[in-house]
Amino acid sequence: MINDDQLLALFNSPARVLKAEQILRKSALSCRLVPAPREVAEGCALALRFAMSDKNLVLSELARQELPPQRIYRKKKGLFQKVFPLQET
Amino acid sequence: MAIYLDNAATSFPKPDSVYRAVDATFRNLGVSPGRGSYQLSLDAGRLVLETRETVARFFGIADPLRVVFCANATEAINIGLFGTLRPGDRVITSTMEHNAVSRPLHALASHGIEVVRVTADAKGRIEPGAIREAAHRGTGPTRMVVMSHCSNVTGTVQPVEEIGTWCRREGILFMVDAAQSAGILPVDVHEMGIDLLAVPGHKGLLGPPGTAILYVAPQLAPQPLIFGGTGGNSMSRHMPDELPERLESGTINTPGLAGLHAGITFVTQTGPDRILRHKTALLERLCYGLRSLPGCCLYGTGSAAQAGGVLSFNITGRDPAAIGFFLDEQYAICVRTGLHCAPDAHRSIGTLPSGTIRVSPGLFNTESDIDALLAALENIVRKREGLGL
Repeated sequence: MINDDQLLALFNSPARVLKAEQILRKSALSCRLVPAPREVAEGCALALRFAMSDKNLVLSELARQELPPQRIYRKKKGLFQKVFPLQET
Repeated sequence: MAIYLDNAATSFPKPDSVYRAVDATFRNLGVSPGRGSYQLSLDAGRLVLETRETVARFFGIADPLRVVFCANATEAINIGLFGTLRPGDRVITSTMEHNAVSRPLHALASHGIEVVRVTADAKGRIEPGAIREAAHRGTGPTRMVVMSHCSNVTGTVQPVEEIGTWCRREGILFMVDAAQSAGILPVDVHEMGIDLLAVPGHKGLLGPPGTAILYVAPQLAPQPLIFGGTGGNSMSRHMPDELPERLESGTINTPGLAGLHAGITFVTQTGPDRILRHKTALLERLCYGLRSLPGCCLYGTGSAAQAGGVLSFNITGRDPAAIGFFLDEQYAICVRTGLHCAPDAHRSIGTLPSGTIRVSPGLFNTESDIDALLAALENIVRKREGLGL
């Protein structure tokens, strides 16, 4: 479902994650909605999967549309590592 | 085939596209939207999102995620009022309100909220100056003004743009019940200074029953009335802060919302101004005929052009309920009689306790429907039909 060097964005809202998917697709950024793995979210959240190489483009487009993700995780060597935000406020 | 003239209650029939959208969605996409991660659920979620965006465009709402779907406008109004007002708050309303507004406010009054009702004139109009005066009369600040855009009894259109602009300047929340106006009169939350907007999907927007919207302005975070599952963050015992989920517990009515989407699309393509012109022309024809009817008394502004698609009248000495019954029984004509769930409005225009006969044509009514109603009323009044009923 998620390969190494893919990213997962969480939004804590089904409506927001669907809106984020729409925004990225309109910007021709490749993405896919997937069930959030248990390592990154408790319960039945949806996550938006996209390529590590698109990270900056994705973040800037979502920021432009005032829909920043709550968290982003990177899968590396089979483990999930939080890459956004780097520090919890 | 009955002649239906009660579109202020709910529009009927709907455009074919609405029936088709409901049926196709129910058959092909009748799954829980945005809950599961399988493609059908995601497609249903995308359809709901598309409907939110269509609603947002229609009402000048910048962020579609602040469009909350409800079962009906009454629920939307209850969420807006109970979710926002707190003990000690002062709220200004009018005597032209439907019970959907009046009853929640009455309940809130027993929880320490001061409710001030501004009296309408005999034509059902609320003067903006009276709202301003009532807001400044109290000892403490006024938190909210809540009122209908268009009366469901007289069709009187209230000056919401003027009142909303003033509320915004004064820092007072402005909530509008657009049950009768949405789909025929322009409603723009930005231009009208609206912070909370309640709209049924099944009236002027031509969608199915079981659909409604509540718009919530960005600075507001109403408390939910209903608590439950929202499709995410399931381990938390708390409702999420994010809209729309915070106010949308439980399974969403996807087939109904597909119908609402089709209804708004139809209204947009047809043109709300064209729909209003059609209804107004039918009511002008009705007014012209009623004026020659002995003992007929028209209420509201007296002008169909200012009536928001609704006209109320009475026949002197006759019970409106009996006339409505006879119209249905003998002529298969459906009109609404009585108080229309707005007793304060009838007190304002002097029609308590019997109420009025209310006619509200729809987009699909024709001049011949109005002529049939007038002919039936002629028989009832001149030949004194129905007196024994």
